[in-house]
Amino acid sequence: MTEIASHSDETRPTVLIIDDSADVHRLLKVRLKHEEIDFLSAERGAPGIQLARDHRPTLVLLDLDMPEMDGFQVLRALKDHNETQHIPVIVLSGQQSPQDKVTAFELGAVDYITKPFEFTELRVRVRSALRMHQLVQMLAQKAQIDGLTGLWNRTYFDNRWTEEHARATRHGHPISVAVLDVDHFKSVNDTFGHPAGDAVLQGLAKIARREARNTDLACRYGGEEFVLIMPDTRAHEAEILLERVRAAVEATVWPRHPQRTVTISVGIVGATGVTPASAAEWIEAADRNLYAAKHGGRNRVVTTDLSVCLPGFIARQK
Amino acid sequence: MHEPHLPSASTSQLRSQFADDPEMAELVELFVSELPDRVESLERALTSGEFAQLQRLAHQLKGASAGYGFPTIGQAAASIEDALRRGIESDVAMLQQQVNGLIGLCRAAQRGAAA
Repeated sequence: MTEIASHSDETRPTVLIIDDSADVHRLLKVRLKHEEIDFLSAERGAPGIQLARDHRPTLVLLDLDMPEMDGFQVLRALKDHNETQHIPVIVLSGQQSPQDKVTAFELGAVDYITKPFEFTELRVRVRSALRMHQLVQMLAQKAQIDGLTGLWNRTYFDNRWTEEHARATRHGHPISVAVLDVDHFKSVNDTFGHPAGDAVLQGLAKIARREARNTDLACRYGGEEFVLIMPDTRAHEAEILLERVRAAVEATVWPRHPQRTVTISVGIVGATGVTPASAAEWIEAADRNLYAAKHGGRNRVVTTDLSVCLPGFIARQK
Repeated sequence: MHEPHLPSASTSQLRSQFADDPEMAELVELFVSELPDRVESLERALTSGEFAQLQRLAHQLKGASAGYGFPTIGQAAASIEDALRRGIESDVAMLQQQVNGLIGLCRAAQRGAAA
């Protein structure tokens, strides 16, 4: 599972310097060496863009005047690309041209520093950009996290599922998705009160987080429903994992109601290789399996392997 | 060590503003040690009329020099870059004078470091 905490306490920021002058690289590294920063370096635009895509640095210091590809072209490319568009860029320039400054800001730069640098100024501008970026990231992340369980929320799930589904389809990789729902959740709430219901949701989140692997994504879909995205996972592998979650929930003794066990029902859809089913169709199919699990007596996992059932399964369900 | 018959330009010394900054000492030394190479490249570009190359060398020197504590070298390099950017390479005599001025400053920096 993606550990949410690991994002926010990423310790050292990485700064990518793209400048054709070896002197600038040397000087910046010495002048910023007390800033607890890791550096990446490129002396041309194209390798700089590649480094930014591969390493997602915290900040880019970008020279405007470079051979082959100038800084504006690099800035445009960074801002045009999904993976790099949110990385703040400080433009470095030897020119005092107001038009260049305007262009840099219009293209999405967060700051502009003219060479030769006043290093004290450079330092505080870098610090300020890093601080601002950290705040923005924190807010963006908060908006994607479910407050009660600490899992990713529905908004995040919707985006991420579309991405993961597209990635698996494109590469023909296996992928599975599970929908989990607490059985008779309303009666837990009604009998033991809402704090007890909340504790069940938090407990389930904890179990899901514990049983899932680093690459899985656990989300709270809403109410007492959770979703687990499992990239590179075949249907039968997903079933083993979710069966573990189901058994762990059933075995849990709840401090607020030790006499009352809680169970979950799970619907899984998985596939190996390319399927014609859309991202939404996958979720619908997983939901149907969840209902099948409920109708089958609850406290169970119902799995469909789309690569075996295709193409009839999706069509039949409609 | 002043020899009265020499013009002052060849004996003057230029010291980095950061010469006493322990953080920078090593870098300044490295920069100064590379100056002869830069001077040679500047001379070559000027004599062979490679003005684009000359402009690039001047640009690099402009960007770097102040960072190493040699703003006067940076300014001299900047005026050469500006001149070439405006496209006055026809006025080779003036350009020659400017480049010689820059080279003189680079040599003064080497002497400053050696002193």
